[in-house]
Amino acid sequence: MSSRPALDPALLSHLVTAQRLEERRGRRGSGIPALDRLLGGGWPRAALCELTGRRSSGRTAILYAALARALAAGEAAALVDVGGGLDPRYALAAGVALSRLLWVRCAADLAAKAADLVLGAGGFDLIALDLGDERPRLPAAGWIRFKHGAEKQGTTLLVAAPARAAGSCAAAVVELSPGAPRFVADGAPLFAGVQARAVRGRGAHEHAGPESEEARCASLAFSCRS
Amino acid sequence: MRIACVFVPQLALQAVLRRTPDARGVPVAVLEAPPLPNPPPAGGGRGSESNGGRGSESGGRGSDKARGRRVARVVEFSPEARREGVRAGMTGAQAAAVCAGLRLLTVTAADREAAAAALADVGYAFAPRIERAGERIFFETEDLARLYPAGETAIAQAVQAAAARVGLGVRVAIAASKGVARLATRAREIALVPTAAGPARAALASIPVETLAEDDAALAAAFRRWGLRTAGDVAALPIDAVGLRLGPTGARAGRLARGEDDEPFVPRLPDDALEEAIELDYPVAELEPFSFVLRGLVDRALGRLRERSLACAGVTLRLALDPRGVDVRTVPIAAPTGDAATLLQLARLDLARRPPAAPIVGVRLLALPARVRATQLDMLRPAGPAPDRLAATIARLAALVGPDNVGAPAIEETWREEAVGVVPLTLTLSPLRGERGSEQARLTIRRRRPPEEIEMLIDREGLAAFRGRETTARVLVAAGPYRLSGEWWKEEHGFSRTYWDVHASDGAVYRVHQDGRDGRWYLDGYYD
Repeated sequence: MSSRPALDPALLSHLVTAQRLEERRGRRGSGIPALDRLLGGGWPRAALCELTGRRSSGRTAILYAALARALAAGEAAALVDVGGGLDPRYALAAGVALSRLLWVRCAADLAAKAADLVLGAGGFDLIALDLGDERPRLPAAGWIRFKHGAEKQGTTLLVAAPARAAGSCAAAVVELSPGAPRFVADGAPLFAGVQARAVRGRGAHEHAGPESEEARCASLAFSCRS
Repeated sequence: MRIACVFVPQLALQAVLRRTPDARGVPVAVLEAPPLPNPPPAGGGRGSESNGGRGSESGGRGSDKARGRRVARVVEFSPEARREGVRAGMTGAQAAAVCAGLRLLTVTAADREAAAAALADVGYAFAPRIERAGERIFFETEDLARLYPAGETAIAQAVQAAAARVGLGVRVAIAASKGVARLATRAREIALVPTAAGPARAALASIPVETLAEDDAALAAAFRRWGLRTAGDVAALPIDAVGLRLGPTGARAGRLARGEDDEPFVPRLPDDALEEAIELDYPVAELEPFSFVLRGLVDRALGRLRERSLACAGVTLRLALDPRGVDVRTVPIAAPTGDAATLLQLARLDLARRPPAAPIVGVRLLALPARVRATQLDMLRPAGPAPDRLAATIARLAALVGPDNVGAPAIEETWREEAVGVVPLTLTLSPLRGERGSEQARLTIRRRRPPEEIEMLIDREGLAAFRGRETTARVLVAAGPYRLSGEWWKEEHGFSRTYWDVHASDGAVYRVHQDGRDGRWYLDGYYD
């Protein structure tokens, strides 16, 4: 016999459940169908998201794919780039409309401030904060500020870093681990791409109950040349 | 035609209160020294604030008579000072003696110019062309009827509100002619004089003859001698008879009293640049105190630009140095902005980067106005950032990370792999592409700029291991070599490189190259 008290239907209609909140927010395509499937439709809008992985795990490629997708949809996007590692030729090849991308290259200690300024400007649908090889050194209050800022402005703040840091402030987390790179041998070896394994830490259908390990993982392929 | 006259009573007092806002509401007297017959020596005549009779006749030796004539005297004072007994013509010491707590402020030419320019900006907020005449401006108001359907009172109140925003208290009169409007501002805070001759004459009838005479004491005395007290009395006399006895000035006063005026109205378009200036009491050598001075100038300049619905596209600072010399510098601004904190930060950064050669005794700020880009929203597209907020954000980012590090990335016309350019961001509308994405995402390179020099170990089979600042790893697979050279026509800038893609033992795939000129190895970045 259930002991849960029955809620007044009128009151119930005013409650905003986590599921309803997520439905309201909606999702944005990541630009990679396999990742969209893993995330249940893409990166959540109006939320802080984390993307972690070591070097050559495809982290930057996922960032550029998301930026390319947002810019192609006519949205405003910005990239806060620690160390200025962006290669414009590769970004263009990934589909990023360079002339419409706000690019801020800065040192690691200024990245959070720069991202906060862009977030505060409002109107940006996607802000990618690429920390490169720098581990995030932001206090918990900083992540909470980012989370609330993203929710208020309706922005997806996608943070790419070697390790997780935002904790429960992140609405979606994808952890990448690099697989063996692919080389094609035509005489001398030629680098062709990498295979990576993506594991969803948070981010999709968590309210729907437990799910299998397979449903939380995906295999992503990144090609070096088209 | 309906013409508005905006008049700043006590311009000198209001000019000094603009730069000394904390003096509002307290007894204030404005000192001004009579002009010298010859130009003053360098450094003389400076000073923005004094405390009781400085520079007065207590100087001692010298040509005492001449110095006595040069004593700064009270020219204007606040109502609080008037209540305490301060009067025009007193010396600073005399005024301080009758009013305890009196603040004595010295008005400079820069203060007057800035206040007059701010008044002009108020006019340009309401009309594209205005006529400037000292402490007054004139502009047409007929086009404002649609904006202010409530009538001319609403226009006058809006003008007063706009003037208050730039730190000026004004009187406004609207009449059918320039002279009548000017006369009406002397009488009331807000005066609306009808166009028709009869009602106009009635509206002006109560104005005293001293006001009608407009600072012509002889004319006012003549009216008094005739037993005339008000403009209505003067208007009742035949103009020809008044002109015969008092000359052209008397005839003109008679016409004004009847609401008739033929003074030409010559409006002009605004000047491009906008200037605010201040002369300091003593030289300032530190950046921090100078920032306070600069803050006031920036605030006032932006306030005036806001009145014209403009932003600031560039700032030029002209610093007067002690004892002599001038330092002129242009502060780079990435995008037009109306944000005072951003402009101040950019100016501070510039001053910190290139400090002036000597302490500063005066500063003149020249702000270049720019119209913030208006954009037409698209029904099918996201709205995007507001242009003015985006511009302010870009300017603040430029102040934070440097102007060369903010913008849109661009491909440089070179074969150097690490080359990248930054161009101003333009949020133009481009055709929408509903791409779903590819199953295989495109791998990119995270570049090291400049390429990091590494130590490469080579064995019989080729590349074996490398060691860099952060990375030490064995080479598992090396794909290459890819040879690249160029710019050989430039003596020092030519390059010849041999590139390799190496899969290292740390799991990453790196891009490295050997410089063909000196044989050194460099890490360009890693595929990611």
